[in-house]
Amino acid sequence: MVVTSTGFSELARFTGKAGGVENLRIAEYPGPLGIHDPDTIAGNVAQTLVQQIVDGLTRVESRPGEAGEADAAGAREPVFTGTYDEIARFFQLQEWSDGLPFVPPTIERIGQVLRYTDRPADEEIAVLPSANRRATPWSIAANAVMAGCLPVHLPLLIAAVEALGDERCSLNNIGSSSGIFPYVLVNGPIIKQLGIACGPQAISRGPNPAIGRAIGLIVRNVAGFRPGASYMGTFGYPLAFALGENEDESPWAPFHVDQGFERGSSTVTMGVTNNWGSAPAPYDTPDLPGAQVALELLCREMTRKTRLFNFPGRGPNAEHVMLTLLLSPPVAKSLAAAGYSKADVKRHIHENARMPLRDFEWVVKYTMIMRTSLRELVQAGILPGEFLGKPDDLVRILSSPDILHVVVCGDPHRNRVMVLEGGHTRPTTKPIRLPADWKALSKEAAG
Amino acid sequence: MRADKISVVSPVGVEAVQRAGSARRLGDFHGKTIGEIWNGVFKGDVTFPIIRKLLTERYPGLKVIPYTEFPHAQGSDQPAQQRARAQRAAALAKEKGCDAIISGNGA
Repeated sequence: MVVTSTGFSELARFTGKAGGVENLRIAEYPGPLGIHDPDTIAGNVAQTLVQQIVDGLTRVESRPGEAGEADAAGAREPVFTGTYDEIARFFQLQEWSDGLPFVPPTIERIGQVLRYTDRPADEEIAVLPSANRRATPWSIAANAVMAGCLPVHLPLLIAAVEALGDERCSLNNIGSSSGIFPYVLVNGPIIKQLGIACGPQAISRGPNPAIGRAIGLIVRNVAGFRPGASYMGTFGYPLAFALGENEDESPWAPFHVDQGFERGSSTVTMGVTNNWGSAPAPYDTPDLPGAQVALELLCREMTRKTRLFNFPGRGPNAEHVMLTLLLSPPVAKSLAAAGYSKADVKRHIHENARMPLRDFEWVVKYTMIMRTSLRELVQAGILPGEFLGKPDDLVRILSSPDILHVVVCGDPHRNRVMVLEGGHTRPTTKPIRLPADWKALSKEAAG
Repeated sequence: MRADKISVVSPVGVEAVQRAGSARRLGDFHGKTIGEIWNGVFKGDVTFPIIRKLLTERYPGLKVIPYTEFPHAQGSDQPAQQRARAQRAAALAKEKGCDAIISGNGA
């Protein structure tokens, strides 16, 4: 018997089904429990919840399975024939599209895409939570077609799906009402081979928007994250995006080298974020050099990242957070010129991103879902002793330098930074496997 | 847009989950034991005591084991740890003689 609140019962049913339980018994509390006062909660529990619990535990109920599912044999069969407008309406009804015009996934187009991999069309690339459905080159290609990707993008998308299916990525948790959505980071020679944008306006140019959109559709259709059913972002989601690291303009080793890959290998990294936010600019001034301003600015940005108040990376059952620092090349170069390596930057931010204990405690007490005090957390060894200090003490809000990830990208003539804040996942990098005849195929794709 | 008809395939992945049957319903609560499993968030410490009180008042033969007798810390978001925690909770429920579990709160 599972207790949910309004709007989350579909998610509970979906989660049960993905775990193999078709008829999960659910009792639904009416409304947003978090903001209800004790009398309202007591009344709602007595008037509506308890009887549902009794019924659920003592009576038999059944629900039909989800419509539109294909079995292994039927996945490649046409499911609809019609004009473009009719197909668009059908896909909208099935919630298979993101609301934008799309390229119809025909068997012919999917066949053209599948030429760009050596892997069998029905090979299991990953089983993607939360629906626990098999992603295959076929299903990846179908969504790539819809998104407007070119066939030549398929190897990158397959690697991205491998990353999404890796438990380190922990995709299962992105349905959070905080609104987490994926992004794609590309490294290595493939950036130039595919023309992935990594400079000015990176996420908006070249093939990047189509690649990001394809990942968003895969997360919807293969992983099964449907807005309002299992994808519960309170205010919704922007389109997933893709970017390349501007490796030529970076003073440091690129991101994938930090993850243990050879510089000459091509990789894709799946990350998540809650935001595509402001891009403040550090300036060199007479009293403070630009590199120092950049570091202080990044530390200030950290104090606005609400996921840090969930104590990520702390304790035996620590949750994940990933803070991705997008640094434009001039900012990265000014830091490197001042003697900072990437590891130095992370260490500095870990040590110096601080806020008054009273402010930290206020956020935790009044805006977080936890029901545990800071004192209890310190006593449990989850938070360090400094969180039992005086209200004006400045406490370090990052658990470790390791939750920071640095990517150099964007306009090589602008001095701006952006901090992407995502939760529950770790950036997960996979190598891109190219087909044996890649040279000929990519030449053909280039026309 | 063009008006000629075309055939399309589903972009949905193939299911990989083996179906499991639901547990048998209790029939009635007489002489039964129910456990509470809470993950430490969304005010379960407020709702579970109310649910417990109402159920035991209504069904005097029912025993409810509070969430405090099970692990009830927040997290984790790591699949392997989540599975391990669920298995531990299920084993503990069995050990305590539970006929059913109420888990929550979800939001």
